[in-house]
Amino acid sequence: MAARRLAGSPEAADVARPPVVTFRFDGREIRAPHGEPLAVALLAADHPVISRSFRFHRPRALMCSTGQCGWCECEVDGRPSVRSCQVPVRQGLVARSEHAWPSVGRDMFGLLDLGSRWIPPTFYHHRFLRPAALRKRYLDVLRAFGGRGRLPIGRPLRAHPRVERALEVEVLVVGGGRAGVVAADEAAAGGARVALVESVAGRARPTRDGVQVLDGATALGWYDGEVSAIDGAALWSIKAGEVVAATGSYERVPSVRGADRPGVMGARRAVDLIERLRVLPGERPLLVGDEADLAPVRRAFESVGVAPVRSVSTADLRRILGRRGVNGAIITVGGRAQRESADFVAFSDRTPNLDLVLAAGAAVTTRGGVVVPALDEAGRTSVPRLRVVGSATGAAVPAAPPAHVHGRTLACFCEDVHVDEITAQVRAGYGDPELVKRRTGALTGPCQGKYCLQAFTCALAAAGVATTDLPSARPPLRPVRLGDLVPGDES
Amino acid sequence: MSLPSSADVVIIGAGVGGLGAARELAARGIGRIVVLDRGYPGSGATGRNVARIRRMQLTEELSRVAMACQAKYERMGGELRSNVLFYRLGYAWILYDPDEVERMRGIVAMHARLGIRSALLSPDETLRHLPVFEGGDPVAGSVLSDDAIVHHDAVVWAHLDHLASRDVSIHPHTTVTAIERDASRVRAVITDRGRIETRVVLNAAGGWSGDINRLAGVRSPNLPHRREVLVTAPLRRSIEAAVTFYRPSEGWFNQTLRGEIVMGAVDPDEPAGVDQRSSWSFLQRTAALMTRKAPALRDVTVIRQWAGMYDITPDHLPLVGPTARLEGWWQALGWSGRGMMLAPYLTELLADHLVRGTAPDMLRPFLPDRFTATDEAATLETDYYARYVSGAPSR
Repeated sequence: MAARRLAGSPEAADVARPPVVTFRFDGREIRAPHGEPLAVALLAADHPVISRSFRFHRPRALMCSTGQCGWCECEVDGRPSVRSCQVPVRQGLVARSEHAWPSVGRDMFGLLDLGSRWIPPTFYHHRFLRPAALRKRYLDVLRAFGGRGRLPIGRPLRAHPRVERALEVEVLVVGGGRAGVVAADEAAAGGARVALVESVAGRARPTRDGVQVLDGATALGWYDGEVSAIDGAALWSIKAGEVVAATGSYERVPSVRGADRPGVMGARRAVDLIERLRVLPGERPLLVGDEADLAPVRRAFESVGVAPVRSVSTADLRRILGRRGVNGAIITVGGRAQRESADFVAFSDRTPNLDLVLAAGAAVTTRGGVVVPALDEAGRTSVPRLRVVGSATGAAVPAAPPAHVHGRTLACFCEDVHVDEITAQVRAGYGDPELVKRRTGALTGPCQGKYCLQAFTCALAAAGVATTDLPSARPPLRPVRLGDLVPGDES
Repeated sequence: MSLPSSADVVIIGAGVGGLGAARELAARGIGRIVVLDRGYPGSGATGRNVARIRRMQLTEELSRVAMACQAKYERMGGELRSNVLFYRLGYAWILYDPDEVERMRGIVAMHARLGIRSALLSPDETLRHLPVFEGGDPVAGSVLSDDAIVHHDAVVWAHLDHLASRDVSIHPHTTVTAIERDASRVRAVITDRGRIETRVVLNAAGGWSGDINRLAGVRSPNLPHRREVLVTAPLRRSIEAAVTFYRPSEGWFNQTLRGEIVMGAVDPDEPAGVDQRSSWSFLQRTAALMTRKAPALRDVTVIRQWAGMYDITPDHLPLVGPTARLEGWWQALGWSGRGMMLAPYLTELLADHLVRGTAPDMLRPFLPDRFTATDEAATLETDYYARYVSGAPSR
């Protein structure tokens, strides 16, 4: 991957080129526009590898850009495991990579990945018992491989206690995208007291009075029917007669080997990088997905004079090649596999965001191989007070491609769980989805299943296990700093 | 797998108690053992706990039992040929009250007599060993031992793998709906998947064991109470002991082998009842407590929370053994938050009792018939430590 900065363009004219600041990443001095997301600044500085995966130290980089996938975590100003796509750079910022030696780009522990086949998640079950005298030593070694960030002992950040606030409304809309705003406006037009929770400050602009926008607030859970949310100043408990999940969709990372390589990204992110942030993520992009869905990203690349090397359907993508960055892909053309050279992959498939649906314990089902909420004609879930609108319903998502998933494809990126490891659990008699989760660690990482639920259920389905019987979702819906949960007095 | 129509022993509950009992009974030559669970194996408190295996207790009697329990875990990996990740992480009571420190002198001396390695640390020594408390509420001292943790799920799988080789049949997702009995003895267990005739039933249903006892017409003074836990993203090795703040309402935390920090604090007003839902107030309460004691924890990232149940008895000791009023009805329940630690050893004693017909001495404090039918769960004291602080004698 060779990313570079683009010159400012007329489309971006309203974004004044801000002053340039200097920050450090792993000791290297990097210059970037003030306020640019740290992960983007690193990409533009041709430093794409930001983190390493927990178990096999696979190189990871900017992917979702929304603070969800966790692939861009690093230490920022002494705070461990910060999602760098959410951190605006400023003068003097100091960031360092975690969980890599000697450097995140060339990490010796990355060699573990070559042996991943022989280190299944259950590797310790019948090992490290002999001689008995060494049992603790074995676990000491295991412990040395654990952990990511450093606990900032002796230099804690300042506490910012938040005020506890309770809110009672007739309708609560979670998500301030188009569908969420429409739902909020409609409810307000009917005379209801409405609250709208939107995590991106300034994004939700309802037209009706009577919609209280919790701007920049993130929903953290469904607790006993109440929705909890957090923003910069408050911890919210929201009681609502009806909750509308307008939570949108996530990138559906292709179920192929190499899909987690730096330089694989959702199409919308690529568009945002090029058009808003003026960073070109690759010179030879391969586009993956339905042609119509790919039109915006194709236009974005072409607008800066870059012609995509090719576009292929999701079903025709077989493998993404490269180690610390994409250098090609195996695709099927006319029924034959061939290698295509590329330095970037943009995929357009998405999958509904089920966070709130699963947290509420509402039923899900599969449609075209995709896990979607089970809804009646009115969009209500099996939890009567919870309705789903917009892309969170999964109505518009493309079907998942037919299962020719390779066993060494990652089903869970946080824990590096391979598809064949899930199959092996089923074969060993541990096919209960909850046991598969516990024995492999799939769904238990920091992304909380957002990026692996689809692959997890596909892998189970392929092994003959009912797919709607998903492991219980556990709050919070998004990782949250312990210090941010401290309730304090209004001051 | 279809349910058998009859069995020698039916065990209700595939948690550490039920699976432990199955292992011990099979080892004593009991045939046809059937284990039932309403969910998957370990779906109750077993799969929801943090598995601290601590010898250091507040009384000599309990410490002696705990020593045997820990020894059992230390052997478990070798015996079952499965690694349960027994690890001497260390264990610390953090004390904030000089009176508590004084009281601990006697307890540490008692530990020394028994051969338990514990030490009373000064405030400085405490911070040196556990720098995570730097900048927090000033500690008055601590008691540190070389106690251990295990991996709760690994304990379940070690038992499952072992039991599969012993022809014990385990039936998950099978709910007991009724118990058939006559005036004096058990006849059969009725489930949503069929009837199993048996002369011996072991109730090891954890948080649901009171309900199961009622199905059999047996009264017991145990009540389930929700307990909550949260876990953080993994951090590098930095906390060298499982920490408890002496009183349950003040909480506890420890770092797992993977580096995650698990923590929790008991809500003193938690009502009794079957409840495994997570709460928002727990997150806030725990965050406030822990960041005050250990400010470095402000920066850790909470990625998951869950809840399980303590099945609490009035004396905080489990009910393990037969039931006088109903022949064939055995109990291994009311673990009061110590099931993971106590169950493997106490179910070994229970199996001895069942096979030989007399209770081993070590089992006597735990026999269910120490409570009479008129003992009410209402006398339950949720703050178990209060009894020791007030100097009240232990049972």
